[in-house]
Amino acid sequence: MNTPVLVVGGGPAGLSAAHSLASTGQKVLLVDKADRLGGAPILSGYAKLVPSGEWAKDAIGGMVQRIESNPLVEIQTRTTITEFSGAPGAFKYMLAGEEQTREAGATILCTGFSHFDPVNKPELGFGIFPDVVTTTQVEQMLSSGKGVKCLSDGRVPERVAILLCVGSRDRQIGREWCSKICCTVSANLAMEIREALPQCSVYIYYMDIRTFGLYEDAYYWESQEKYRVKYIKSRIAEVTSDGKRLIVKGEDTLVKRPITIPFDLVVQAIGMDPNVDNARIASIFGVELERHGFLQRGATYRAMGSTTRPGLLVAGAASGPETIDDSIAQGQAAAMAALTSLKAPATEAA
Amino acid sequence: MPILSKHLIRDENLIRNENLVIEGVDVSGDWSTFIKTRVVQDYNDSLQEDIAALPGGENIHRCWQCGSCTNTCTINALNPDFNPRYWIYLIRIGMEEELIRDKEIIWQCVSCNKCTSVCPRDVMPEGVMRATAHWLELKGYTPESPATIFDKVFSSQVFAKGKIEEGRLMMRFFKKTGQKLTQDWLVGLIRGLVLRLPIGLLTRMGLSALIHPRTRDWSNHRMAIAEYITEQKALHRKALGLPTTEESR
Ligand SMILES: Cc1cc2nc3c(=O)[nH]c(=O)nc-3n(C[C@H](O)[C@H](O)[C@H](O)COP(=O)(O)OP(=O)(O)OC[C@H]3O[C@@H](n4cnc5c(N)ncnc54)[C@H](O)[C@@H]3O)c2cc1C
Ligand code: SF4
Ligand code: SF4
Ligand code: SF4
Repeated sequence: MNTPVLVVGGGPAGLSAAHSLASTGQKVLLVDKADRLGGAPILSGYAKLVPSGEWAKDAIGGMVQRIESNPLVEIQTRTTITEFSGAPGAFKYMLAGEEQTREAGATILCTGFSHFDPVNKPELGFGIFPDVVTTTQVEQMLSSGKGVKCLSDGRVPERVAILLCVGSRDRQIGREWCSKICCTVSANLAMEIREALPQCSVYIYYMDIRTFGLYEDAYYWESQEKYRVKYIKSRIAEVTSDGKRLIVKGEDTLVKRPITIPFDLVVQAIGMDPNVDNARIASIFGVELERHGFLQRGATYRAMGSTTRPGLLVAGAASGPETIDDSIAQGQAAAMAALTSLKAPATEAA
Repeated sequence: MPILSKHLIRDENLIRNENLVIEGVDVSGDWSTFIKTRVVQDYNDSLQEDIAALPGGENIHRCWQCGSCTNTCTINALNPDFNPRYWIYLIRIGMEEELIRDKEIIWQCVSCNKCTSVCPRDVMPEGVMRATAHWLELKGYTPESPATIFDKVFSSQVFAKGKIEEGRLMMRFFKKTGQKLTQDWLVGLIRGLVLRLPIGLLTRMGLSALIHPRTRDWSNHRMAIAEYITEQKALHRKALGLPTTEESR
């Protein structure tokens, strides 16, 4: 119990793992490369979260405070791991900027995901037209209290298009996965926009709506029924401008017709990419990546949170698109696996 | 260029100028034939609001285009062009011109409500069809359908008398829809009745056809109903932005 467990990454998954470990009296070293803890919801300034409706700064901010005030947790921000070696129960590692090797009984990787960079889909206008923005930017407009506005001239939009699956489900850019949460997040944002701007129409362009599980009626149906958000079945192929407004082009597959519809604001529902650091993480920690570039899980059922390296655990969006609540659950599961491996390292070879 | 496979294009989508000279070149007739663009260039939110404001159309915004209604539809089985799912979509995105194109089939809905019982989102497509037919009438795109005329004759009799009397009902309906009174099936029906029903009942039916008994103390009810109907009619017309004083047809 004296050697701290190493938790890399202080997003929802890492915060949950660290808290679970510390709750049992286990010491933890929590390392994050960013200048503060909280992961994507805090660093990217998300607004109200799915599904609790709590503001990210309250909900995840609360998890950060809980960790920061826990004497069993040592926090190192703006830090990465440069070397990692050893066997389960006796890992050795080095922090960037330190000369001395540290030791860990168990290690959990909670290094999360990277947002898809939409300049990789130039035909959708991001970086060319200021009024083409991402879901992350709309989250920030809402969470900062500045409101949803067109970035070109600050006007309040009368018509907003949300394009789903930008950077997901697209072989052309080597992204064959579904990012899982963006349908629900988009329905949620659409409702927030309609609530803030009742005069503004919101259209969502989709191929499939994947508001899985209990999100179906709470987000998809609610956005249609209560907030009158309209869903159009089309994968938008191009965003241009007529000099005044943006023009969204695609095919309305239900009426078999091309569409060129004017919009004030176009929001791209950007996907969850593998963490841009993953190649480096894989080589430093000696773990394998799965074919999309996320961390490969070792086992699906028998050992929660395992990677391809015995004793090295993973939780959250590091191993594939994940929600916050599932990342938190995985963080706790990985903490349990870590404690088990410390108590009975011999049986943990799976 | 003349368009060779013109038969594939709807007439209204062809534009042709009989006399057109561009920069001194005569391009009249076939030489100036254009195909109108099929591109959807804008949405019109108000069409859905119109339909939603009429009785039956309230839930139209819930539709997610699953097609269950069309699949189960009695009329669609006979006429594949009768497609409630499609019309609901046209209304939702405001493709008014497309919708009006089907005005001759939309009213054919027989209100069997199979669609309503199968719809997973409780859109009540039968109601939407009713509202749409109503909308087409109010906007003057279609004359009143026989079903609407029947409804009107039927209800005006109930409102006036507090009860229904089949003989008069059918007579008025036939008259209003320009059908002859001696329909073969009707004559056959009456002949059958006369042969089979007991004398006492026949006498009573005959008497009531002549005397037109009223429901006692009906006038208060009649006035209340008339007031309500005028109010509702005005509401519907107002919702569509039409003048509210409709001369009764
Ligand atoms: C626009 C958008 C909105 C979303 N809204 C919701 C929502 O409302 N509800 C919901 O459930 N989910 C939502 N999600 C998903 C949510 O962001 C993720 O589920 C969650 O952030 C995953 O948590 P995590 O801890 O696994 O990873 P992250 O949040 O990505 O945290 C990873 C942490 O690791 C650190 N890190 C990364 N690499 C290294 C390294 N090499 N060394 C050290 N530290 C490192 C990072 O700095 C970061 O702090 C949304 C996603 C997007 C894109
Ligand atoms: S969750 Fe929805 S928007 Fe996101 S990738 Fe999957 S289908 Fe596309
Ligand atoms: S069954 Fe209901 S939801 Fe499905 S297409 Fe018809 S009206 Fe829409
Ligand atoms: S009520 Fe009308 S639309 Fe519905 S199934 Fe019957 S005929 Fe078809």
